[in-house]
Amino acid sequence: MMRNKKWLRSSVAVMLAGTIVLAGCSNNESGGSNAETGGTNGEVSTDPVTFSYFSFGTNKDVLASETTIGKILQEQTGVDWQMEFVVGDANTKSGVMIAGGDYPDVINDVGQLPKLLDAGSLIPLNDLIEEYGPNIKRVYGEHFDKFTEDDGNIYILPFSANVNEYVTEPDIGGGAFWIQRRVLKEFGYPEVKTLDQYFDLIAQYEAKYPSIDGKDTIGFITSAGATGEFFSIANVPMHLAGYPNEGNVMVDMETHEAKLYAASDYEKQWLAALNEMSRKQLLDPETFTANKDQYLAKLTSGRVLGYFNYGWQVGDATNNLKAAGDDDLRYVALPIVFDESVRDAYIDPPSFVNNRGVGITVSAEDPARIVQYWDNLLTDENQKLLQWGEEGVTYSVNEDGRFVMTEEQIANRNDNEFKRTYGWAYFDMDWPKYGANSTFEDGNAYSPLSQPEVAAVNYTEGDKALLEAYGIETFSGLFAEPQERPWYPAWSIKKEQGSPEQIFNQRVGDLQVKFYPRLVFAQASDFDSIWNEYLAEFNKLDSAGYEAFVTAKVKDRVAGNW
Amino acid sequence: MEKQTVQITQSTSGDSRLRALIKTLSKQKMLMLMSLPFLLWVIIFKYIPLWGWTIAFQKFRLARDLFDQTWIGLENFRFLFSEPQFYLVLRNTLVMSGINLVLGFGTAIVLALLLNELRRMYFKRTVQTISYLPHFISWVVAANIVQTALAPEGIVNVMLMRMSLIEQPILWLGIGEYFWGILGVTEVWKNVGWNTIIYLAAITSIDPAQYEAAEMDGASRLQRMWHITLPGMKPVIVLLLIMNLGHILESGFEAQYLLGNGMNVEYSENLDIFVLKYGMQMNNFGLATAAGMFKTVVSFMFLIAANNLAKRMGESRLY
Repeated sequence: MMRNKKWLRSSVAVMLAGTIVLAGCSNNESGGSNAETGGTNGEVSTDPVTFSYFSFGTNKDVLASETTIGKILQEQTGVDWQMEFVVGDANTKSGVMIAGGDYPDVINDVGQLPKLLDAGSLIPLNDLIEEYGPNIKRVYGEHFDKFTEDDGNIYILPFSANVNEYVTEPDIGGGAFWIQRRVLKEFGYPEVKTLDQYFDLIAQYEAKYPSIDGKDTIGFITSAGATGEFFSIANVPMHLAGYPNEGNVMVDMETHEAKLYAASDYEKQWLAALNEMSRKQLLDPETFTANKDQYLAKLTSGRVLGYFNYGWQVGDATNNLKAAGDDDLRYVALPIVFDESVRDAYIDPPSFVNNRGVGITVSAEDPARIVQYWDNLLTDENQKLLQWGEEGVTYSVNEDGRFVMTEEQIANRNDNEFKRTYGWAYFDMDWPKYGANSTFEDGNAYSPLSQPEVAAVNYTEGDKALLEAYGIETFSGLFAEPQERPWYPAWSIKKEQGSPEQIFNQRVGDLQVKFYPRLVFAQASDFDSIWNEYLAEFNKLDSAGYEAFVTAKVKDRVAGNW
Repeated sequence: MEKQTVQITQSTSGDSRLRALIKTLSKQKMLMLMSLPFLLWVIIFKYIPLWGWTIAFQKFRLARDLFDQTWIGLENFRFLFSEPQFYLVLRNTLVMSGINLVLGFGTAIVLALLLNELRRMYFKRTVQTISYLPHFISWVVAANIVQTALAPEGIVNVMLMRMSLIEQPILWLGIGEYFWGILGVTEVWKNVGWNTIIYLAAITSIDPAQYEAAEMDGASRLQRMWHITLPGMKPVIVLLLIMNLGHILESGFEAQYLLGNGMNVEYSENLDIFVLKYGMQMNNFGLATAAGMFKTVVSFMFLIAANNLAKRMGESRLY
């Protein structure tokens, strides 16, 4: 008896000790975050302070004041930033961050917003904006309802509030079919509109020139094998059918009905075309297996005749090709569709992306100071600094008051390394800002590359020859003007964590990952039976429910309820 | 009165037992003290976290108290066991685990036996070092090496084509059926040297007199290996086998995650990747915990079964 009791007592003691240790830990934590609330008194302080900024996007960590722009902003406000970026999987990182309650002062959500809101990680900004944010109100005022949550609070400031006159970007940074320039040159710059024409041109060229520098040319590739980039192949049917990038649905302009294009005839037509290319040995056999490094290596090697990608996926490769200076090996974006009668919609319509932005976390000790810093960012002067840099250093103003850049200044503006040291890599996005299609009050474009004077200097001789051959001013000249789609983009519609919609998406994704390779590499005779197998699997999922969900949200948005 | 006497006797016998216990305790004071930190470690890091199993029965949301969670009973388990994908990944997990187990044991034992027979110390050390090395490469790097080697223009295809064994380059990682084999070979390449260490240690504990006696009796080298070295290693082999069977549902994560792609997903996706996709990435920690519990239960069954088997066969065992 006694012995048993002794055991009991000692194990209780051990448990108790354990609990005390644990309680000790958690006390420390909550103590740390409790100390935050004090110390905000209306005055704009310029005492030196360093806040932390975490982004779920990728970049190199930096202390803001080590960059030119960060230093100038620090001189204005006394605020410096320890900027950190996600390493590895963002979903895992956000989970760990939330579970540990270990937040930076400011978060750039990049898709993690639903989780952060669900966990109550961000503080409401309404009162702070009212008190400290005249410029925030000027820029975001008319859009507030679009990013006010159901509880009536604003938690983030998004990046796409366009101000003043709306300008479109002269070059293609979004999705497109890209083709190597030597192919167009060889055939006298023909007009290429449909998928058949595009693949046919590649086939003809490959037949004539099967190799370059002793290596086989590759007809067509996409980066479907890179982690998390399967959409590079799965999104294509939507674009070929003449819709902009809405995620996994196409939204009708008239009825506002959202339709999935997975398992549709559009998808079948696209995969059948790839299948044919593959049987002609024009499709890269590594389409589904090459990782991102291998993929980019191929793109920069000059062996690839055509690819589909969003411009931002392959920015490093295209910059390198441009720097290498051989225009024939560079690529040009084409608005390819299924049928000549289809109006292409590759260029994003004017839109307000309401689920990407920066928010202040519950751990921030001085949220007022941060909102003041943001408000200061949103002056016309500072917005110019963040995009154009310093007058006389990184750009100049001509006698008509237009902003211009020399070739060297443009080269610097595009150079990855220079962008890091100057600070553009850290400040020209992902902070409260004007939308990319804005203009300043003096009429100059917000984004340097949207300024016609700059775009003109930026073009190489090869660019100019190409533009002239097609009789266009800028590369977007080949593409149709975007049309008004007030709900755009449908992909920014929030889906609850673990909701049927989210699980549906994962399931469809899993199916596509499984069936695409089988379909693309199938024998011609097997294609239809594999397709039917895919359809049968797909029909087990509740696609009607998903479409109804998106349609309802789209109609809400059209009615003005974001 | 009678009652009291009984009580007294009882307490005296309890006292003497207690005294005996205290005596043993004080005799083994140092041992107790030394094991205390590990006991604490086990309790804090292995038993207290079991509390987290409650998550499996909740629609768990982060950063909320236990009392603010929604309890959903066995819903997470129902989702798991009614998901066809689950059985596919379970198959993959078991097969890959089995392959790793068999190949891992086989190659390590053979290599250890061979290394033991080497007489030139210098050569032996070199072989050992070379075979250990891959163990210290992270999977990210190792997977990249494998991907590069197996690419259409990679060294494997080039060599096979030079030797005219194949005419067209083979897309190794693009053919699902090959994945298990590739993974098995990769695991062997990465871990065989490391796995031999414990066997080599077991071999050193074999009494050299046995070898001498066998040699006198005219046993050949192969016979010595078969009749002396292998039986000498047997206790270690059995023990390791029992422990590894406890990990039968851990077929690894990084290798499958990094080498997997759309074309081999039906063979490469294992339980851990499934949990990552449907659990962690969707913030569905309840499902992830449910899967974890399932793994623990299965592991326990395997462990106990293997241990009983060893017991019945009269071999050394875990407990």
